[in-house]
Amino acid sequence: MKSEILYPGAFPMVRVDLAAGESVKAESGAMVACSPTVDVESKMEGGFLGALSRKMLSGEKFFFQTLRASRGPGEVLLAPTVPGDIVMLELDGVNEYLVQKDGFLAGGEGVKIESKMQSLSRGLLGGEGFFILRMSGTGTLVLNSFGAVHKIALKPDEEYIVDNSHLVAWTATTSYNIEKASAGWIASFTSGEGLVCRFRGPGIVYIQSRNPSGFGNWIRQFIPVSE
Amino acid sequence: MSPNALCFGGDLPEAGAPCRVEVSSAGLLVAIQGLPDETIPFTHLSVTAGGFDQDQLVVKWVHGGIERTVYLKDPAVIAAFRQAAPPELMPHLERTAAHVRRARSGRRTWLAIAVGSILGLLLVLWFGSDLLVRMAVAQISVEWERPIGEAARGQFLAGQTVVKEGPAVAAVQDITKRLADQIPNNPYKFEVTVVRSDVVNAFALPGGYVIVFTGLLKKAEGPDEVAGVLSHEVNHVVLRHGLERIVKTLGIVAVVTVLAGNQEGLVGLAKQLGIELVTLKFGREQEMEADLSGLRLLHRAKISSDGLIHFFERLTDADKLQVELLSTHPMSAARVERLKAEAATLPKQEPVPFDFEWKDVQAGL
Ligand SMILES: [Zn+2]
Repeated sequence: MKSEILYPGAFPMVRVDLAAGESVKAESGAMVACSPTVDVESKMEGGFLGALSRKMLSGEKFFFQTLRASRGPGEVLLAPTVPGDIVMLELDGVNEYLVQKDGFLAGGEGVKIESKMQSLSRGLLGGEGFFILRMSGTGTLVLNSFGAVHKIALKPDEEYIVDNSHLVAWTATTSYNIEKASAGWIASFTSGEGLVCRFRGPGIVYIQSRNPSGFGNWIRQFIPVSE
Repeated sequence: MSPNALCFGGDLPEAGAPCRVEVSSAGLLVAIQGLPDETIPFTHLSVTAGGFDQDQLVVKWVHGGIERTVYLKDPAVIAAFRQAAPPELMPHLERTAAHVRRARSGRRTWLAIAVGSILGLLLVLWFGSDLLVRMAVAQISVEWERPIGEAARGQFLAGQTVVKEGPAVAAVQDITKRLADQIPNNPYKFEVTVVRSDVVNAFALPGGYVIVFTGLLKKAEGPDEVAGVLSHEVNHVVLRHGLERIVKTLGIVAVVTVLAGNQEGLVGLAKQLGIELVTLKFGREQEMEADLSGLRLLHRAKISSDGLIHFFERLTDADKLQVELLSTHPMSAARVERLKAEAATLPKQEPVPFDFEWKDVQAGL
């Protein structure tokens, strides 16, 4: 699988080239166009319960789609729903990423996707994002964000605090706790809910420059009916 | 040699350099691509647990002035390390292992609780008892209901035209106030919204948000019928039927969340349900309960209960009245019979008329 980001910036799209028989896993609804050689297999990742837990608890769509070039080589165009950057990460069998539920766009055949329950206290405090996705295996992992993606690199034991709703993904070597922001910070973090993640290196944290619920609230004030 | 660990520190990439780690009697052999292999004696190493879920063995050392950290997750390497490590490192290793075991058994315990709870809930559902759900709902304070209802109302109204003023809005508010005034120790502040739609329906959301469609007002033959429906809806709120449905729909996670004393979590979960809250079907028992307490509430508010009964009678004849109300409020002749029987037990009283003119209300629609 070879992939390329087209039109990088606010409205990017991903082109995935597939050899005959090769496939790519894509978030359902992400496919924009494809060659006639490509078939869509709606396969449930992680069995019935796996799919169920994603639907019920991470609020996501039921399936990942598997797009397979079953009738000869072909290409697929994929795009996220929200405007924002696309990042590609390479999984080498050793590194792993944790991804927020809305961050996954696509992954190569060898990428293993697992929904992972955050430890009880973390998930509960987070309110949403009870389940996150753990990505392992080998291949290209394509993530999308709302706004621009910013990369934070942490040295061993280095700490960094991120507003919960701005998280996109982080490496599995990075440990974290979800905390209530101390009184003075609450106003300065954009979600206004006073929940932050304290990350501890080593590893990398990807954050997005906009937060979907904040944007939703902002939009809502212009819709007269919901007053 | 395929890599089995990630190495950090010095000039290595921030995401970690894939490396090959092997254990020998001399120490830890670390092979990083592009760098000479190193064997670090055990005496130079310190160990902790780390990473997501604290499930990796983190080994640190300083070599040539550079601090290195390696994250091991391969169980075989971890086992070999524990076997070969000298006695002085054992206390650290044991502490780390205990930590990891705690994390794992914590997960196992949680899994056991989850599986047990699911089985328990299935049993509970099987025998038709809602005890667990009621227990959970009883833990939720009224202030926590409001954001849930508010979120669902916001999502629902986003696609609707709201009637903001006029005789219909005033009438519906007047009826609701008359009813709410008769609820003892009422913790709810009812907010009624009139939506322009031919749909014959009304519904209530947790926290006291009542929504009435103009279709219902058009089809109603008098204010008593509207008051009957509103009394029924208001009782769904007071009896917290919506919350019961939410807890039931979200299932065991919500129950455990609430019983564990965390209401914030429930609000988050319920917000994910969002618009689906509006279409939640109430159970037969809940309907009956809302009917009967609705009837008694009408009586206390000195409103004739004939309207409620008559409206329900018309509802049972679905051909006469094309109604959406049926989809969220399953109707049956048995319900009407039960209401009539209950009405007969209440002392006779003279209804107090409403302050508004019903003709004006319908003319303004
Ligand atoms: Zn009802």
